[in-house]
Parts: sequence; structure tokens; C-alpha cells
Amino acid sequence: MINTIVKRDGRCVLFDIDKITDAIFKAAQALGGNDRQTARELAELVVKHVEQAHTDDNPPTVEEVQDAVEYQLVESGHARTAKEYILYRAQRTRIRDMNTRLMKTYEELTYQSAGENDVKRENANIDGDTAMGTMLKYGSEGAKQFYHMFVLNPVHSKAHLEGDIHIHDLDFLTLTTTCCQIDIEKLFRGGFCPGHGFLREPNDIQSYTALACIAIQSNQNDQHGGQSIPNFDYGMAHGVRKTYRKLYSRNLAKALELLVGLENADEATKAVREKVHAAHGLYPVLADDNGYRDLELPELAGFADEPTLMKAQAFAVEQAYQETKRATYQAMEALVHNLNTMHSRAGAQVPFSSLNYGTDTSPEGRMATEAILLATDAGLGHGETAIFPIHIFKVKEGVSFNPGDPNYDLFKLACRVSAKRLFPNFSFLDAPYNLQYYKPGHPETEIAYMGCRTRVIGNCHDRSREIVNGRGNLSFTSINLPRIAIRAKGDIDFFFEELDRKIDLVIDQLMERYQIQAKKKVRNFPFLMGQGIWIDSDKLGPDDEVGEVLKHGTLSVGFIGLAETLKALIGQHHGESEYAQNLGLDIIGHMRKRMDDATRETGFNYTLLATPAEGLAGRFVRIDRKLYGEIEGVTDHDFYTNSFHIPVYYNISASEKIRLEAPYHALTNAGHISYIELDGDPLKNLDAFEQVVRYMKECGIGYGSINHPVDRDPVCGYTGIIDEVCPRCGRHEGEAVSVEKLRSLGCWNGNVDCGYCGDPNEEAARLPNSVVE
Amino acid sequence: MENLNVQNNDSEMMVGEGVGFERIRRITGYLVGTLDRFNNAKRAEVNERVKHAVTREVKL
Ligand SMILES: [Zn+2]
Repeated sequence: MINTIVKRDGRCVLFDIDKITDAIFKAAQALGGNDRQTARELAELVVKHVEQAHTDDNPPTVEEVQDAVEYQLVESGHARTAKEYILYRAQRTRIRDMNTRLMKTYEELTYQSAGENDVKRENANIDGDTAMGTMLKYGSEGAKQFYHMFVLNPVHSKAHLEGDIHIHDLDFLTLTTTCCQIDIEKLFRGGFCPGHGFLREPNDIQSYTALACIAIQSNQNDQHGGQSIPNFDYGMAHGVRKTYRKLYSRNLAKALELLVGLENADEATKAVREKVHAAHGLYPVLADDNGYRDLELPELAGFADEPTLMKAQAFAVEQAYQETKRATYQAMEALVHNLNTMHSRAGAQVPFSSLNYGTDTSPEGRMATEAILLATDAGLGHGETAIFPIHIFKVKEGVSFNPGDPNYDLFKLACRVSAKRLFPNFSFLDAPYNLQYYKPGHPETEIAYMGCRTRVIGNCHDRSREIVNGRGNLSFTSINLPRIAIRAKGDIDFFFEELDRKIDLVIDQLMERYQIQAKKKVRNFPFLMGQGIWIDSDKLGPDDEVGEVLKHGTLSVGFIGLAETLKALIGQHHGESEYAQNLGLDIIGHMRKRMDDATRETGFNYTLLATPAEGLAGRFVRIDRKLYGEIEGVTDHDFYTNSFHIPVYYNISASEKIRLEAPYHALTNAGHISYIELDGDPLKNLDAFEQVVRYMKECGIGYGSINHPVDRDPVCGYTGIIDEVCPRCGRHEGEAVSVEKLRSLGCWNGNVDCGYCGDPNEEAARLPNSVVE
Repeated sequence: MENLNVQNNDSEMMVGEGVGFERIRRITGYLVGTLDRFNNAKRAEVNERVKHAVTREVKL
């Protein structure tokens, strides 16, 4: 006779035969059974079986009773019920394990600092040590467990947990989409509403940049990825234009006040300006080349004689130009500052912002581009390098690439700023796969890149709108390529077959995620959809579902570790032999073909992504090393190589790296980037820097960036390369330096308290070396 | 607030004790001011990077 049973936590509780009956009955019910009496009889047999080995002095454990149930079901011919029971039991175990794991994760998040805890450092731009940062992690980890247990298709969940695939931003699975390219021109037309109160259409460049920041911040709260402005120069040009217009009238008033004592001069000149505009449709413009002055002259006739008026106009033109330029610079300075300090997502994260610019050749657009570059060059308050926004300079032949192109000077400036501050990166509009969308005079057809690499332009859902504006990625999932290669043991056919199975899996998983996203309503995205940022969302009401308009977005399959994959398959990566490069192109070309096929079959924009690998670089290799051991060139580093990159530890020249990586850019239509690591201070060799960018363009790179060390000594303010010793003040890291010394170097501002004195040399030289005249 | 970075006084005053250098690096597209905030794998990746020589062939 059994009276008690030992639970998993060791407690003894009363034995209850009904619980066994219930469990068996549930398993039978799952198969359509409805016979409780049989379940009861089976339960009694189970008890008899258990009693053979246990007495009340030696009570059975829950596990032992469950084993007995399985045994008894099989013995009595209820094989299918037995199978169902085993599944049920496994599922319960899985949920129990997950709950335990979640509590363990919570414990670590609570009691460990970011220094000790890798999870807290998963995203380098969230401060895991702050209250809000930790709260975000609680939410994120809890959400992930919930989705694994109750939302995800178990097949997809398993593939993710075992490291076959990585479902990115899983914590947002049921909540939102990745990112959006904000059409800033459209947003500002007529004003917008960021949540609390309506904001009028801005009227000067300061308001334009301030609102651009708010737009980025508001949208960031509606999505889990970054935010990008694809047409920053075109958008800001309107602000510059309005600022000039205002400043022209104000300066004309000032001149007339002084020269002839005109009263209420501000109102008078403004009235004349609007009158001229009403009659001729013209305003004073930055370039002063539209004949406005001549049309204005007769309207001013009552105020003074003609020579005086012409003198006043000339003064106004000159002053307005200089003041507009200063205002534009200050507005860009404020924007850079804001984007580095403003927070979103419960205050724990700076918005991931990207600005694309460089092709607007209007004087106003050029002024905006020059100002954002110079503000970035100057750095933050103490000359620090700004972390955000990511800048992307658009390189286009005939516009911004060759000597003689209208924006060639801005390209040179972009190179100089990048050589100092790591941004801008460079996008190449002439790469054939980008050029195919390009229509002159239509900035929305100019390729733009988001954040670390995302690219959205092709559109099979609506071929008439293959544009960047208002569109973005919906979700992406990456495939662990090296694992497939390890498992193939050199069998290339097996590799491709297994790869196809994984691609099928991810295509399905992305579609299931879309089905969840599609059911969301406009009101779930108050800014992204509510303010009409996302393409066609302005045609929807607050309670409409967003499924249809989301079809303009992309579903992306990513990959990691092509180098390790090739190494595992044939012993060489694509930097080591042309043979490996050809196989690499076969593999990635095949993946791209599968995306194009899926696009044709489903009508959705399936695209191939060279995954940025945030949070994933270490996870796959850790699991694979455990499963397959340490394999040279494959699992013997602490990370898998980023997408199609040549491994960072492999010695290769800049040109060779560019030449080998470029063809993969053509294949990865969801986004790509190539990096070159330059030695030394590129500011001292700007020619070499520009040559690398030019070579990228010639080889067909779509998006590229040059890395070099950017160090800074906060004590003397030196920015550049610092090895052991600061080249300016001579101190080692952590060492004190005398104020006397700093004073003699001209970098002591008398501020003992901060110990950070910035760079007075640099602050004095703000607004340096203007190129736009 | 008492300042720990300052020692001695007047002309012999020293500043910067314990103040480190900032090292800005780019990982997966984003810049970060110090390596402290990177996870372990990304830190390892940065440490293993080698430079790419710009050879004559790049010149166009
Ligand atoms: Zn120094």
C-alpha cells in the first residue's frame, strides 16, 4: 500500500490515484478517446506495478510513477496513448526547465554587474547596469521564454535553441517589426504629431533638425531595430531655404532702419517679400540667382532711393548667407548632440539612428551636408567622437565622385571627416544592383543603408514602388552555416541539401512571424503607422490591421561564418584560394536564388542578408564547439566571422579584401557592408583613404567603411592614435600629469573639478575649413 | 565635491590620476567608446583584427 509520493523538490505529499487517471485520460483525449473507466483501470494497474518495488517506508518518486505509467500503457497495448503521454511528459519537463532557467537568468541579471554578465552586454548600446537597462532585460528574457513555450512553432523554437538558426530580436516576436526609412520630407510637410500635441511644419533649420531627432526617437519606440533617414540633405534643404528667406528680410530691414530710419522695418520687408512671392512665385534664395532682387526693387521704392535700396539688398544677401550658414552649423551641432544623449525605450537606449546624404546638389542641400560633416568633425562638447548618428555618404558618379562633379568637394570632406571620426561610411549608387533602381531627380530611388547594413529597395509586392522611403525590414533570421558544413564532413552535396532544408525552415518561420505582425493594428504603432511614416499607412484608420501595408517590407534570411563554412568543407576559406572563393559564391548565390524563388512563389519580399551578427557571433560557435570539438579555423576562435567577410585575423591587403568581398554585395540584397582596417593615422594620408573608397566603388562594393584607431586622452583632449603614451601630454593611461605641463601645451582650461578639459585648440577652431562657398 | 584626480597644489598640481584613455571602436556597424560594453565574442573579434595594407594596386 502506497500513501505518499516524493515530489521533484524532495517534499513528500499524499499519493492520489486520481492524478494518474487524469494524466492517462488527457493523453487518450488528445487522440480522441473518451473512456474514463479504462483510464481508471489502467491507473490501478500502474499502482500495482509501483507497489512491487515500493512500500510506504520507501515511497516512489514522481519520475518513477511516470515511468510506470509509460510501461503499463505499452504493456497493455495502448501504444499511441503511451506516445502521447511521453510527449506530454517531455513538454512538461521542457516548461519546468525553462522556468528554472528563466529564474536563474533573472537571478544573474539582478545580482551580477554588466562586467560579469554577458547577457547584460548583449547590446553594446544599452547600459545593462542601469535600472531601466536591467528592467528591459527582465522583460526581454521573460518574453523569449514565453514565446518558446507558447507561441513559436516547436520546430522553430528547437532549431533556435539548438543553434541551427538564430531568430533575431525574438523578444519582440509578437510586438513589432525591425526598422524603417523615414521620409523626412513627407513627414514635415504639414506638420506631425509625436504623441503629445501637434507640431507645426517647421520654419527654420533649427526646428528641422530638432524635429528630425524627435521623429527618430518616436519611431524607435515603435520598432525594435534602428531608424534611418534616407534623404537627410534633401529634407534639411527646406529648413535652410526657410532660414535664409527669414534672415534676408530681417537683414534688409536692419539695413533700411540704419540707412533711412525706416520704422517697423521687419514687418515692412516681410510684407514686400510675401507680395513678390504672391505675384511672381519667387523667394530670396541662398544662391541669389533667381532675379528676386530685381523683382523686389520696385516694391521697395517707397522706402528709399534706388542706390540706397540696392546697397541694402546687397547687405541683406551677404549677411543672410553668413547667418544661414552659422545657423545651419549650429542646428547640425545640436542634432549630433541630441542623437547622442536623447533616450528611447524607457530611457535605457540611445536611438540607433542613421543619416544618408551627399547627392542633393542644391545650394541649400549642400550647405546642410557640409554642416553635418563639419559638426561631426568637431565632435561633442569636449571634442569626443560622436557614437550616433551613423552617417552614410552617398557616392554617385556625376554627382559626388569625380573631380568636377557638383558635390565632389563634399566627398573629399566626407573622406577627411571619416578619417578622423570613423563616420561617414560610404554607399555606392553606381553598383549595378543599386543603379538599376536609380532615377535621376527621384531621391527615393537612391539606395540608402540603415544602421549597420540593412538595405530595402526592391519591391515585388508593388513593382511601381521600388523605393526606399517608408519601407524597412519586418524580421530576419540567420542560419548557422558552419554547422551545416561541419556536419557535411566534406560532402558538398549533403551540404547543399541540408542548407536547403534550413532555408525552407527559415522561410516558414519568417512567414509565421509575419502572420503575427499582420494582425497588429495601426494603434499599436502610434508613430510609425499613426503618423503615416510607413508606406501607405496614411490610408488606414486606427483600428485597421497593418498586414497589407507590411507587405512592402522585407523578410530576410541571414547567414554567418562563410569563412568557417568553407574551411570546414574544403580546408580553405575564400581569402586563401580562388577555388574556395568560387565555392563561396556558389553557396551565397544559391541562397540568393532561393530567396528570389520564395519571393516569386509567395509575393513577399524575401531577401538575403549578410547578418551583422549582433549578439550571435559567440553563441553559435560556443554551441558548436561543445558539439563538435575544437576544429582548426572553424571553432577555434571565440566568434564566427561576420557574414561573408574574410576573417579579421587573416593577413590580406586592402585591395584583395575589397576585390574578394565585392561580389557578395551583389548577392546580399537585404544588406551588406565591407570593412577595411587601416594602420596608422589616416588623416596623415588622406590620399590613401580616398583611394580605398574609390577602389571599393570600382570593384562594385555597395556599402563600405574604413576602420582605424580613434583614441582620446580626456585629460589633455588629444584625439588620434594613442599607444602606451599620449603623444601630446606624455602621460600613461591612469597617470597624473602636471597642470604646469598642460598649461604650457595650451590645453589647460583651469577647470580642476572635471579633470577633463576638452581640447581648447579644437574648440577655438570650430567651423573649420569650409568647402562650400 | 571632493576631487580625487587632483594632487598637490598650486604650480605642482597634478590632474588625471586614474583617468583612462578612451578607445572608440566599431563593431557590427556601431561605435562604442570603450570595450567594456561589448560582449565577450565581440571583444575577442576586436582583439584579433589585423590591418590591411594599402598597396599600389589600389591606386587608380
Ligand atoms: Zn594627453
